[in-house]
Amino acid sequence: MNKILYLPCLALLLIGIAVTAQDDPNPNSPSPVLVAGSESDRILLRGNASAYRQEPGRELRVLYPPANEWVTANIRNIQPLESEGANSIRIFVKQRSGKTFELDVRELKRLSKDEFAITFRVFDRSGFRGQPVADGDSLIYMTWRGNASNMLKIGLGSTGGIEIPKLLEPAGIRSSDPEYAGYHFAGDRIRFAEQAAFGPSPMLDMRLRRVGLRTWLAEQFDAPYPTFAYPDPPQSPTNPPSDCSLATFPTCYRERYTMIPLQKWFFTEALYGEAQLRHRTAWSLSQIWVTSGLTVQQSSHAIAYHKVLSRNAFGNYRQLMYDMTLNPAMGHYLDMVRSTRTNPNENYPREILQLFSIGLYMLNPDGTLRLDQNGQPIPTYDQATVNEFTKVFTGWTYCNITCQNSSPGIVNYKDPMILNPTNHDLSAKTLLQYPGAPNPVIPACTNCTDPEQIRNYAEQSLNMALDNIFNHPNLGPFIGKLMIQHMVTSDPSPAYVQRVGAVFNGETGSPRGDMKSLLRAILLDPEARGNAKTDPRYGKLREPVQLITSLARIFPAVDFNGENRSDGALASYANLMGQNPFNSPTVFNYYSPDYNVPGTSILAPEFELLNTNTSTRRTNFLHTLIFDGLTPNATDSLRGTSLTFSEFMPLAEADPTGTLLLDGLNARMMHGRMSLAQRDIVLQAVAAVPSSNPMLRIKTAVYLIAVSSAYQIQR
Amino acid sequence: MTISRRRFLAHAGAGLTMAGLVSGSHPFGIMSALAQTSDGGEPSDYRALVCIYFNGGNDGNNTIVPLHSDQSVSGYDHYFQARGPRGLALSQKSLLPIAVPRIGGSAYGLHPALGTVANGINPGLHPLWGTGKMAIVSGVGPLIMPITRAQYQSDPSVRPRNLFSHTDQTQQHHNSRADAVMLSGWGGRIADKITTVSNPNRLVPTVSSIVGPRLFTVGENEQPLSLGPAPTPLSSIFSLTGYNGTPIANARLAALEAQILLEKGQDLVEASNDIQSEALRISRTLNSANEVTAVFPATNLGNQLKQIARMIKARSALGVRRQIFYCSLDGFDTHNGQLLGQNALLTQFSQASRAFYEEMVVQGIEDKVTQFTLTDFNRTFDPAGTGANVGSDHGWANHQFVIGGAVTAADFFGINSSNGTPFPTLVNNGPDDADSGTGARGRWIPTASVEQYAATLARWFGQSEADMPFVFPNIGNFPVTDLGFMAAS
Repeated sequence: MNKILYLPCLALLLIGIAVTAQDDPNPNSPSPVLVAGSESDRILLRGNASAYRQEPGRELRVLYPPANEWVTANIRNIQPLESEGANSIRIFVKQRSGKTFELDVRELKRLSKDEFAITFRVFDRSGFRGQPVADGDSLIYMTWRGNASNMLKIGLGSTGGIEIPKLLEPAGIRSSDPEYAGYHFAGDRIRFAEQAAFGPSPMLDMRLRRVGLRTWLAEQFDAPYPTFAYPDPPQSPTNPPSDCSLATFPTCYRERYTMIPLQKWFFTEALYGEAQLRHRTAWSLSQIWVTSGLTVQQSSHAIAYHKVLSRNAFGNYRQLMYDMTLNPAMGHYLDMVRSTRTNPNENYPREILQLFSIGLYMLNPDGTLRLDQNGQPIPTYDQATVNEFTKVFTGWTYCNITCQNSSPGIVNYKDPMILNPTNHDLSAKTLLQYPGAPNPVIPACTNCTDPEQIRNYAEQSLNMALDNIFNHPNLGPFIGKLMIQHMVTSDPSPAYVQRVGAVFNGETGSPRGDMKSLLRAILLDPEARGNAKTDPRYGKLREPVQLITSLARIFPAVDFNGENRSDGALASYANLMGQNPFNSPTVFNYYSPDYNVPGTSILAPEFELLNTNTSTRRTNFLHTLIFDGLTPNATDSLRGTSLTFSEFMPLAEADPTGTLLLDGLNARMMHGRMSLAQRDIVLQAVAAVPSSNPMLRIKTAVYLIAVSSAYQIQR
Repeated sequence: MTISRRRFLAHAGAGLTMAGLVSGSHPFGIMSALAQTSDGGEPSDYRALVCIYFNGGNDGNNTIVPLHSDQSVSGYDHYFQARGPRGLALSQKSLLPIAVPRIGGSAYGLHPALGTVANGINPGLHPLWGTGKMAIVSGVGPLIMPITRAQYQSDPSVRPRNLFSHTDQTQQHHNSRADAVMLSGWGGRIADKITTVSNPNRLVPTVSSIVGPRLFTVGENEQPLSLGPAPTPLSSIFSLTGYNGTPIANARLAALEAQILLEKGQDLVEASNDIQSEALRISRTLNSANEVTAVFPATNLGNQLKQIARMIKARSALGVRRQIFYCSLDGFDTHNGQLLGQNALLTQFSQASRAFYEEMVVQGIEDKVTQFTLTDFNRTFDPAGTGANVGSDHGWANHQFVIGGAVTAADFFGINSSNGTPFPTLVNNGPDDADSGTGARGRWIPTASVEQYAATLARWFGQSEADMPFVFPNIGNFPVTDLGFMAAS
């Protein structure tokens, strides 16, 4: 069936056959198996006698779970790397109350060639939902690299009273095509295109198949960006010129002085741009280094900011820190532009520490919280530190006179900020103190007698302060985890964070802060790769922007009339679903990296945008997009947007049962993992549409898959 | 094309799978929804709490200002000395006077935006002081236990976590505790305890939010309903596009609903399914617009409070005797441009809140509905910047407004600071400043905790004493659990 799909492409593939992806290893990790005891559905445990109680009238001993009793279980079918320890494994207990607890795991030991011992205790370290209670049998399973093990019973206090639910429904039709050369892990290709790009367009999938992931990354690192030139609207004077005022010439005003040109360009580049990885990385960085058009209101300002992100997306994080610190949009947004020696402003210094580099708490190398002897997290810094950094960042302001883009009557957001020497604090500053910290103290300026000396001192101080932050051990795990969350999965295993964090901290040979190495580490990690992931908490909810772009790339978007490209006027739709791109409500982004699904301990940042209200809006938006297209309007979209389904017409026409269509959509949308139950449900709705109307059949199937939670979660 | 409720119900009756699959999975089926809506009648005892959250940290120091000249409790001079030279002081004559019985009848002034304003649609909140329908609680902030300035400065372990950080201080106002992360909020936990007692026949959750499930609204068990703001009518928030009753559409709808039951145990998928499922269920319940009478301003907060007023109007049909609401307004993080920014925001608050109060009067339940404010923190008394751009940085203890017929008096409430009143001494590096030394910027140490403030509201709402420790885990650390601003339940 997939031959039908790919026949037209075969010629193209043959041309490129010299370049193959034979270097790409099998991305699939095995699924772990928890070893059962003599009762085949019950976990085999070893531990001190004090951990157990004899169940009355039975041979069975049950675990009595005081928090400090460590027990050991056996695991088969994992192949950990040498560096992979206990923090690559997570053990969960589901109780009758409906609560799930993540247990404290201590040690992973190899017992034999293919059997390992994992030591844990029935204690949830976060304690966010309390602690497991001894109320009989609970269900226990483990996860490793995004795959879940079998589920077994564990008797807590007593046994009985619980059934092991049916295991996950078997997957639908797989769609790998081993007869073609190239990177033939079809599911993994689609997954990769969702993580590293704005969705799996047919062209991108073809390219990945041909060159493999690693080569594609190398190509992307050198790809020219952007494909579509940045818009270049003029900067508005304090009062817009009378021939472009909001009241009289709203179209002119909109195309010059609002965020709309940037938003349209952003979507155009996401839908059609070639340098997907850079665009996607810049988008992720924009959700860490947040500025907002709600404050910095013009595209011209925000574009200068976006250029800092995209320019440094494959560079070094230290340079990004420097460029962003002196970016006027950021300077305006977090008030550094008006922070002076006599009127210091704490906003930027606080947030560069809290949000852009190291975070509030001392971290272990795997991103988990370091705790003090009382079990409390250890603050990374305090208000006094913020005050000291505040002094460093004083005196910088817009370059309104002497720079390339300076122009009378215009505030210059295009050139980096410059120092006004009279406003810079010359006193000594005490910065972050940690072992090996560079520049724990910046001495007072001793020779600041003329403006040039002050400028040199301020510039030097700025670099010393940024080095002091940049070299903090938190940097790797803190930024590494955020980037993983934006690209791959909301709740990465500590081992994954540790691998990525070590790369970013420069512990593996590449320079500290090297973005290319970071991206390789994130995207090629075994926890990211594989045709399928079965860990129930693996993946992430598609944020509104990527819900739109992923569909608009799978079913190549055109304008409403189907003649040209879409104009990219999609921001208003994302906004209705809770995400107004580049107009974040606050510096804390559209959603918090620490957000948990309400009532659970499931870490899932993007869920902060999903509720009964926005979920209805998502469903309704998808209906309009898929069935009708987004109509042009005079306000911001002259051409509108619609999807094309021509790739799937042959499948829909060839098979009145709809099966071929579902197989094709399963491969492209669900990377071959649609459940059989869902397939049956969608097929019923498809069958209700006469086979004489294949287009309506396609739209019906695409809509139902797109609105399903199985698709809404990217995993 | 959107689906009307009637058409939806017709499908439900006729559909082969849908009614069974969806309504059967919830405690409230379609039939009980119909039964309840025809029930009618005013619940004998009704209460609602409406949280208005100011995102970003409202500058309380410019919201309530001393007008008197009694230096023993900080007069206008103290205020002007610190804020006047940098351009952040409000002029004495612009402030709206209120007499404060607790401070010997002394005069204080409300921010001018809280009274009559240009293009206003009502006289704002200020007149409610004169009619005794508004109270002010002073010196409120996150605390683990009562502390003195000396304790604060010498013992880091008594300090709330990550003071002066937005995210942390917001969380601490939402979940009420300052010493640990907690994934539920006190509004949600009140609902955890009160729902089965007071709302056994509810068709909607006890808690509703206009801005998504913010932490305040999330319980350990009870979860909030998320609504959008007016002008969207209540009855169309949850209506689905594209269902016109044809067999093809019916089959599609049946499939959409059947999919919601798939992949149980896949935590992320299930979490999304739960939300979709709840939205579908509510689409059958919120079937009337319940338009209100009072004129609301067509502002962000006005539209949020209008939607809340509609939900309150629908209380009988929805089968609820206790409701908790959450709405919020962005933009209070005024590090710069504060004078204009805060004026606009407080105007919005005052106009919307007053309109809401008037609607409650129309509905005859102004004594049963209480609005109250929360915000990240107060701001530094010492300004940030100067001139037109002047603003302020992150502070701590703040003043909060409580509005409704159930307040005991138009007065200041709270725990006295060293000056013998709940109002802080307005002196940088003074007895109420967490900062010290020459660089001290006036971040007031709270005298009353968020928990004491919240517990007072919860008690009026009908929460039992026995449940206090569940809802407010550190309430036992405080000798007083009722600040006295709410009438007996």
